[in-house]
Amino acid sequence: MHDDLTAALDKIEAGAVLEDRDWQALTGGRDLIALGMAADTARRRRHADRTTFVQVVSVSVSAPVPADPIGGDAGEVRLAGRPATAEAAVAAVRTLADRAPGVPVTGFAYGDLDALCGHDPVRLGDLLVDLREAGLAQVASLAADALVDPEPVVGVLRGSGSAVSSLTFGEAVGSDVWRLMQRVKSWDGIGGICRALAPLPSAEPSPPTTGYSDLRQVALARLLVDNIDSIQVDWSRHGPKLAQVALTFGADDVDAVPAVASHDQGWRRSPREEIRRNITAAGFRPVPRNGRFEAVEP
Amino acid sequence: MTIASIAARVRDGRRIDGRDALRLYTGAPTALLGRLADTIRARKHPSGVVSYIIDRNVNYTNVCVARCAFCAFYRPVGSGDGYVLGFDELFRKIDETRAVGGGQLLLQGGHNPDLPLPWYEDLFAAVKSRYPDFRLHALSPPEILHLSRLSQEPVPVVVRRLVRAGLDSVPGGGAEILVDRVRRELNCYSKATADEWLSVMRVVHEAGLRSTATMMYGSVDTPAERVEHLCRLRDLQDETGGFTAFITWSYQPANTALSGVEATGIDYLRTLALSRIVLDNFDNLQASWVTQGGKVGQLSLAFGANDMGSVMIEENVVRAAGAEYCMDEAEIVRNIEDAGYVAKRRNMTYDLLGDPLFRRRAIPRRTTLAVARPAGDTSLPAELSRYPARSRPGREQRSAPDPRPA
Repeated sequence: MHDDLTAALDKIEAGAVLEDRDWQALTGGRDLIALGMAADTARRRRHADRTTFVQVVSVSVSAPVPADPIGGDAGEVRLAGRPATAEAAVAAVRTLADRAPGVPVTGFAYGDLDALCGHDPVRLGDLLVDLREAGLAQVASLAADALVDPEPVVGVLRGSGSAVSSLTFGEAVGSDVWRLMQRVKSWDGIGGICRALAPLPSAEPSPPTTGYSDLRQVALARLLVDNIDSIQVDWSRHGPKLAQVALTFGADDVDAVPAVASHDQGWRRSPREEIRRNITAAGFRPVPRNGRFEAVEP
Repeated sequence: MTIASIAARVRDGRRIDGRDALRLYTGAPTALLGRLADTIRARKHPSGVVSYIIDRNVNYTNVCVARCAFCAFYRPVGSGDGYVLGFDELFRKIDETRAVGGGQLLLQGGHNPDLPLPWYEDLFAAVKSRYPDFRLHALSPPEILHLSRLSQEPVPVVVRRLVRAGLDSVPGGGAEILVDRVRRELNCYSKATADEWLSVMRVVHEAGLRSTATMMYGSVDTPAERVEHLCRLRDLQDETGGFTAFITWSYQPANTALSGVEATGIDYLRTLALSRIVLDNFDNLQASWVTQGGKVGQLSLAFGANDMGSVMIEENVVRAAGAEYCMDEAEIVRNIEDAGYVAKRRNMTYDLLGDPLFRRRAIPRRTTLAVARPAGDTSLPAELSRYPARSRPGREQRSAPDPRPA
């Protein structure tokens, strides 16, 4: 292993401040596997060989009626898109909760709800309570790159009894991501309201990220952001192969596994057996979970 | 031996036998396999260069009598979707290849009973006459065997005639898994047994040609059979030294008779790493981005590969089985450099030709690979009438009046 990389990994282990030279060693160079091994060690310390996954039925918030009945493998029904009004958001949750009894309903980006409430924390808190009472199990995502001060956000979510499924880095790439990781690491209370960190971009930038950069990002997220329990990869967005390899680089949760096999999703897309096969082939133990991050079978 | 002692042996640069290779393959953590493979790559290629080639992957016909159960590309004799490329079409493809800096065709096709040996000789000679410096990396061992059977000439004679016509080197296609149990199950035993594939390669190497070697895993094969495949290649390489490189890829199941599911990304990286460890007498291992995608293709560089393969320009076989990825020269170079390596162009024998060409002159970006022919174009090349067809549909097709306007 390269000396600079060893020194940087030692500093992370000791909780020391990283300098430019450390960042260069961690985010450049050829020794990807050394970084992955360090992240894997950190991940196994926290989760052993347990790898959770959730099968999701995605439903548009503008037409909250699933095309097919919500099947037995669905662990989450997720409302996708930005609601036109607060009332529409509540109504969509209520509709889905009625149609999918027992399956947690999630949805919305925190920033969209905040905008709907005119960035008024009192109104936002009220809306989050209304959504929870209508059946919303968790807010789907919170974008760290748009967050200047996390303290009020943590306060609003806690005050309303709400939680967030995934903290994301939005569309940040490159050095912006490394800076965000440092910031998130310093955010008190974020781990109490965000169940997982999804470190890869929510939309593919141009030019697209590479395999090396994606895996470095996953590994460094696990090594640096120790105040969030799970590191998450998205099966549908990043593809089964990269998502699977990311499990050996520190990720322990697979989001957005389709609940049903679909021609639209192509033959590679995964029903339950496919995700189980992939997790097992990566050397881990698959554990299905639901939208509340509860294991749904022993 | 324990995994640790086998790993120590690999680190010391000593050869491991098939039993130890299997133990490593089935028992070692993925990261350990990768580290061992990377150690060997670094030892063999200390300069930090990762190479690639600009060439075009052309399939001259999709008509095939072999009917391999894993193939989604072939069409049976007489099929309305069957095609044979004409000489002029191939010349156009060569012109397009040269325009983006390419100097070679990787030319393979189905076992078409209506294309006799003289068709190949005339094609190769015509290419060499028109483009004297252009290289023909053509005809995998089963195709050569097919021509031997069709022409009733021994394999060495067929190879000699093809070389005289212009054949420069031979691709390692059609190896699948060099174990006859697997070949019988895949219905490719009759196209070439494991021994036949290896013996054609031996003849090719004895004729002074270089070739590549391949392995398609993940269909009906076991880990032990993959190891046996690698050991058989290593034995032949010890004997002839004729292989320039090894390429492995996973079986692509879509639209095939065999069907099934594709091996995972981790399976690919483990198999690649094991190949780097076992094939200690091979200088080069290619990444298969065309089957794994660009991202896992790039990760191959951490698991033993020192070459990103070809820009391809065109691809038909893997696409038919469901995989559609594209990397042009700029994208390949971006991935090589992003992984911390120096990108260099090469030829088939891995002589380095220079720095990336797109930095010296404008080369249009390509986001999709071309196909052999536009869908539905099954027109018959004019020169085919000069060659006797063996099948009845072929004979009828060639004797029918040309429906195209004069």
